[in-house]
Amino acid sequence: MAWNEPGGNRNDNDPWGNGGRRGNDQGPPDLDEALRKGLDKLNQMLGGKKKGGGGTGGSGGGQSSGGFGAVLAIIGILFLGYVIYQSFYTVDEQERAVVLRFGKYHTTENPGLRFKVPIIDSVTKVRVTNVRNAESQGQMLTQDENLVSVDLQVQYRVGNARDYVINVRDSNQALAFATDSALRHEVGSSKLDQVLTEGRAALAINVEQRLQNFLEQYGTGLQIVQVNVESTQPPSEVQEAFREVQRAKEDEQRLVEEAETYRNKIVPEARGRAQRMLEEANAYKEEVIEKARGETARFVELLNVYRDAPQVTRDRMYLDTMQNVFSSTSKVLVNTESSNNMMYLPLDRLMQQRDTTTTGTNATDTSGSGTDVQALTDQVMDEIRLRSNSSVRRGR
Amino acid sequence: MSPKAVLGLAGALIVVLIVSSSVYIIPETHRGVLLRFGELIQTDIEAGLHFKVPVIDQVREFDVRVLTNDLPARQYLTIEKKPLDVDSYIAWRIQDVDQFYRATGGDELRAISLLQSRVDTGLRNEFGVRTMHEVVSGQRDELMEQLVARIDETVVNELGVKVLDIRVKAIELPQSVSENVYRRMRTEREKLAQEFRSRGRELAEGIRADADRQRTVVLAEAFATAEETRGEGDGQAARIYADAYSADEEFYRFYRSLTAYGQTFSNKGDILVIDSDSDFMRYFGDLQGQARN
Repeated sequence: MAWNEPGGNRNDNDPWGNGGRRGNDQGPPDLDEALRKGLDKLNQMLGGKKKGGGGTGGSGGGQSSGGFGAVLAIIGILFLGYVIYQSFYTVDEQERAVVLRFGKYHTTENPGLRFKVPIIDSVTKVRVTNVRNAESQGQMLTQDENLVSVDLQVQYRVGNARDYVINVRDSNQALAFATDSALRHEVGSSKLDQVLTEGRAALAINVEQRLQNFLEQYGTGLQIVQVNVESTQPPSEVQEAFREVQRAKEDEQRLVEEAETYRNKIVPEARGRAQRMLEEANAYKEEVIEKARGETARFVELLNVYRDAPQVTRDRMYLDTMQNVFSSTSKVLVNTESSNNMMYLPLDRLMQQRDTTTTGTNATDTSGSGTDVQALTDQVMDEIRLRSNSSVRRGR
Repeated sequence: MSPKAVLGLAGALIVVLIVSSSVYIIPETHRGVLLRFGELIQTDIEAGLHFKVPVIDQVREFDVRVLTNDLPARQYLTIEKKPLDVDSYIAWRIQDVDQFYRATGGDELRAISLLQSRVDTGLRNEFGVRTMHEVVSGQRDELMEQLVARIDETVVNELGVKVLDIRVKAIELPQSVSENVYRRMRTEREKLAQEFRSRGRELAEGIRADADRQRTVVLAEAFATAEETRGEGDGQAARIYADAYSADEEFYRFYRSLTAYGQTFSNKGDILVIDSDSDFMRYFGDLQGQARN
């Protein structure tokens, strides 16, 4: 109902009847007093005149006429003072004053001290710079027929004081209704997920446009400053399910990260192993090549000598080698051509002999019998191989 | 003198009274009608200062500002017989004060209640030919425009009222239907949650498999390269040997044999059973080594 001052005081409900009264409230408080003082002085002056004229004129009549004139004068001055007092008003920086002359729109005044014609002009002040607030909230349907709770705040101000005063009886109520409608319309045209997440900014913009259209259509003179979508939530009945989705998202992230951890562990390890394999291969390569170079270098040196004196070198090498071989090995020499087919080799003795050579290193080893058996087997195998070799040779 | 003054004063008072009762002001927000003995003789009086004959003429003023009125929430059925709780408002103003006065006697409340029942019927009709989806999202504007057009056509003539706008504030599902919606929303979310978790597992499995593949490939490639390198080494070594040894193959054989002997029998524990006739013993009894062949 407070149509010129939304949420404001009720004093200003009807500017047509009480337009002037506002000035009274805001006028200097000592004006009445000053007037009264002036009147008192006037009274004294008139009283003096009455005393002076009392001797010449009639007794009662003169006195009464003088009194009547005084009263008239007082009324006149009072009236004049009131008129002057009523003719000025101030407009605050945050206000504009809409002036109606004989009820017709006359002008809109800017801040400052203003003059008006008493009775004829009526002034309505409107706060235009103040940003006002309206809220709309509730549960509403989305395009995909889900429900969503939206909390919206509209900030607006009076853009056109004339329209605000003249066109609409209750602009603020119109705005409240229009906000509800615009919000629900836009939410109804959006999908739930959009409203809940990235579509909120767009929602605010759309509501603002739609709302501004409504306000212009009704000629409210209001202007939207900003529309804030303060919160969009699923209804409390289904919030748990929405939180579950959130948790599921986290789980997804976690599973992926665990897998990535696994990958970050095994792939570098594999690369490390690969590196080792390559290095080992390189090492082998270098080794065999170097070995070959070394061995061949030794051979070539020897060959050079050999070429100078082949027979001597050959004999020397042979004998050196034989000496080394025979001096470090147990030997059994068999003349196969003269021996019969049954050749007896005293293996037990050989064994004993071998034992005595190994006791130096393995005397205290109690578990040596196993290795001894193994060694013995090796020896037997060697014997047999040698024998078969020799039999082949024999045939030659 | 004094009775004269009183008379003058009274006269002045009467003049003021007559003037004041023959002058009237219509404010910018209103329109007036002038009634003479109850007969409408002047209509649509605009804002400003006007004159009338005192006593005989009467002025009625009507607020022609735009009014917004909340209409009570009603339940309407859509074409698929789904009930919807609809809360709407109407923006209207008095257009034809003359007709308005005749139709309602200047009573706004009566006008509202007349409008209300028309809007109610109109909304019922408009909802009845649309699906819920159309009502909620697609066709709100069309619905309202058609409704406004249809109602406005009649009420301008009948009530002298201009309907600027009829808007649905809220379209809500009845509580019982809401429960179903909640259930469906929950199911949808559960589905979504399941999807997220499964996708997580899928991605994780993919990443692990990819990691395993990378490991296998890296190792296999390394193995291949390593073998190649070894082969190169062997090859180069063999070439070196061949180059060197081919200078004198016979001597190489001799030299290599001797080296082998030396290495083969390097331990006292070894037993050597020798056929004295063997090549190995070639020089054993004959220094020239010629005896045998």
